[in-house]
Amino acid sequence: MNETIAALAGTGASIDVQGISKRYRDTTALDDVSLQVKAGEFITLLGASGSGKSTLLNIIAGFIEPTSGRIEVAGKDITTVPPYKRDLGMVFQHYALFPHMDVWENVAFPLRRRKVARAEVERQVRQALDVVELGRLAKRRPSELSGGQQQRVALARAIVFRPRALLMDEPLGALDKRLREQLQLEIKRLHSELGTTFVFVTHDQEEALAMSDRIAVLRDGALVQVGTPEELYERPSSRYTAEFLGESNIFTGHHRGARFIDATTKADLAVGETGDCAGALVLRPEHAHLAAPGSDIPIGHNVLNGVVRDVIYLGSGLRVEVTLPDGRAIVSRPAARGRYTPEPGTGVLVHWHAERALVVPDHPSVAP
Amino acid sequence: MACQVTVPSTRERVSAHDADPAPAAPRPPRRAGGLLDRWGSLVLPLVAFLLVVFVLPLAFVLAQSFTEPEPGLQNYTDFFGSPVYLDVLANTFRIAGMVTVVTLLLGFPYAYLMTLAGPFWRGVLMVAVLVPFWTSLLIRTFAWVLMLSDTGVINTVLREIGLISEPLPLLRNLTGVLIGMSQVMLPFAVLPMYATMRSVDRRLVQAAEGLGATPLQAFWRVYAPLTAPGVAAATLLVFVSSLGFYVTPALLGGPGDVMIGELIAKQLSGVLRWGFASALAIALLVVTGLLLALVARFVDLRRMLGGAR
Ligand SMILES: Nc1ncnc2c1ncn2[C@@H]1O[C@H](COP(=O)(O)OP(=O)(O)O)[C@@H](O)[C@H]1O
Ligand SMILES: [Mg+2]
Repeated sequence: MNETIAALAGTGASIDVQGISKRYRDTTALDDVSLQVKAGEFITLLGASGSGKSTLLNIIAGFIEPTSGRIEVAGKDITTVPPYKRDLGMVFQHYALFPHMDVWENVAFPLRRRKVARAEVERQVRQALDVVELGRLAKRRPSELSGGQQQRVALARAIVFRPRALLMDEPLGALDKRLREQLQLEIKRLHSELGTTFVFVTHDQEEALAMSDRIAVLRDGALVQVGTPEELYERPSSRYTAEFLGESNIFTGHHRGARFIDATTKADLAVGETGDCAGALVLRPEHAHLAAPGSDIPIGHNVLNGVVRDVIYLGSGLRVEVTLPDGRAIVSRPAARGRYTPEPGTGVLVHWHAERALVVPDHPSVAP
Repeated sequence: MACQVTVPSTRERVSAHDADPAPAAPRPPRRAGGLLDRWGSLVLPLVAFLLVVFVLPLAFVLAQSFTEPEPGLQNYTDFFGSPVYLDVLANTFRIAGMVTVVTLLLGFPYAYLMTLAGPFWRGVLMVAVLVPFWTSLLIRTFAWVLMLSDTGVINTVLREIGLISEPLPLLRNLTGVLIGMSQVMLPFAVLPMYATMRSVDRRLVQAAEGLGATPLQAFWRVYAPLTAPGVAAATLLVFVSSLGFYVTPALLGGPGDVMIGELIAKQLSGVLRWGFASALAIALLVVTGLLLALVARFVDLRRMLGGAR
């Protein structure tokens, strides 16, 4: 299979989104979004429903005209180029397979439109179907395929003409969890073997973290932050990103010097960075350690008293919810068989290294 | 006028249900011995109604064609032995075919326009196409006489603005028949095509353009094929309904444009040959049925009439 996929490999193009805005009569779907996608990169547009992901993808594809801004592909301005001349592959959540054509004809469609010679069409369609392992279903109609198979046909159809980039709008959104995870792997493999630029849209942060080279977080039509999954997870630039990606414990309060004063309890916590602003303290559950009351706490750690409320066994570890004296909850994810075993209803110390917690502005800031 | 059409379409719809290709889903248990379940029995009055107004008269007509004025086949031998009558039959199919072509050519873009229009203009277009349903056939046909005659509206206007010096022959010929019948049949072409077009997923056209199809290619290779069921339904509906026309061709056509409906009416009201009229009706029914059977060999009638999906 690797030889066939190599035959379809192409060089991806860079995509340069410059100050794109899209306004409808009473909504702003996109507000001055700029984003540089490198050639061959797997970038994910991540955001809640209605955040403008589809609008941005459709503007790149040419289906929607932006109110202002420019789109460049491989350094060329294509803002006014019609979609059929853009040479970008597109995969939709609703598959968009042509119901009156069988699988083979569907995949051959983009080649036929490009007037590829008959023998060559034959060869490339077979290759594309082999890549998605659907060669034996070539004569089936889309309606005779399962959702996962249909989406694989759509993938084959989108890569068969070696597009300069592949755009995917929540391609796995209609599939069940197991199939989704399987296709995530296949798409990831496809990306590394094709070497083409992938722009992937999802509202599922786990999917984004698992698949992407970089993630662009959108909120209400504005870009909140762009970065690698690790950057976004470990150094969110706003409370929104911190809450959207992964689980986090958040305290609101004031950042003063190297201290953070919690707004409700006035607890004085050490933090790594210095600053002076209202903000939110972000503590990831895996950095929140637990210890029996009275045990020694490492130097440089903050400590809070609490009561274990709930312990869930997750296989790889535990998820422990601790109630603080003021009623708020803190989530911790210790290893399953650590030295200390939390018991619901008993007192506990929650502690974390000052450097492990992060202070972010309480409202989203636009990434530089 | 359009009674023939209910025969093939209802029959096909009913049988479409039995022949549904979907794997047999577990059905709710039926009452012992019941042919119809509780809901199915609701159609019984309709079945009875059809039996009384449709099947019985048809049986009566069939019997009469063999018994009037005396038992035997002479009504049929008269008909099939006479080139004049066979010409009328051929003419009937020819005119119905031409009306079908005209209404499809006008109706397809019209229906497409309706899918593109906003709610207001869609409403306007819909009312415009439905107007023929709300006026009597006779009145409409006389209106066409006023429009099309040598001193009618069209010829007068054209002469006034100097486009023509002699009146165009629009009445008492094939042109008149085609204009009059096409107007009557237009809704039967537009409505099924519009219904199908509305259900076509527009996003497929967009997907096609994303894959490199020009807007024109996307229309003809993706959109148009998906409207085929509507076009087929319109074709069948218009063609079969057109076969039964007689008022319109009688008033707007010339001596060469006699259709079989007119001939039947003449036998009934003019020369009182009830048996012969019955034979003509049966002949039309049988030939139409054969034609549909022929079409059914090549296309899936069930699918195109919206039965199986
Ligand atoms: N054709 C349209 N007319 C008006 N508003 C629209 C249109 N398309 C999208 N929007 C609005 O733009 C915003 C972004 O939509 P979309 O890009 O589809 O979001 P997402 O794909 O992230 O869920 C939403 O608030 C949506 O209601
Ligand atoms: Mg969307």
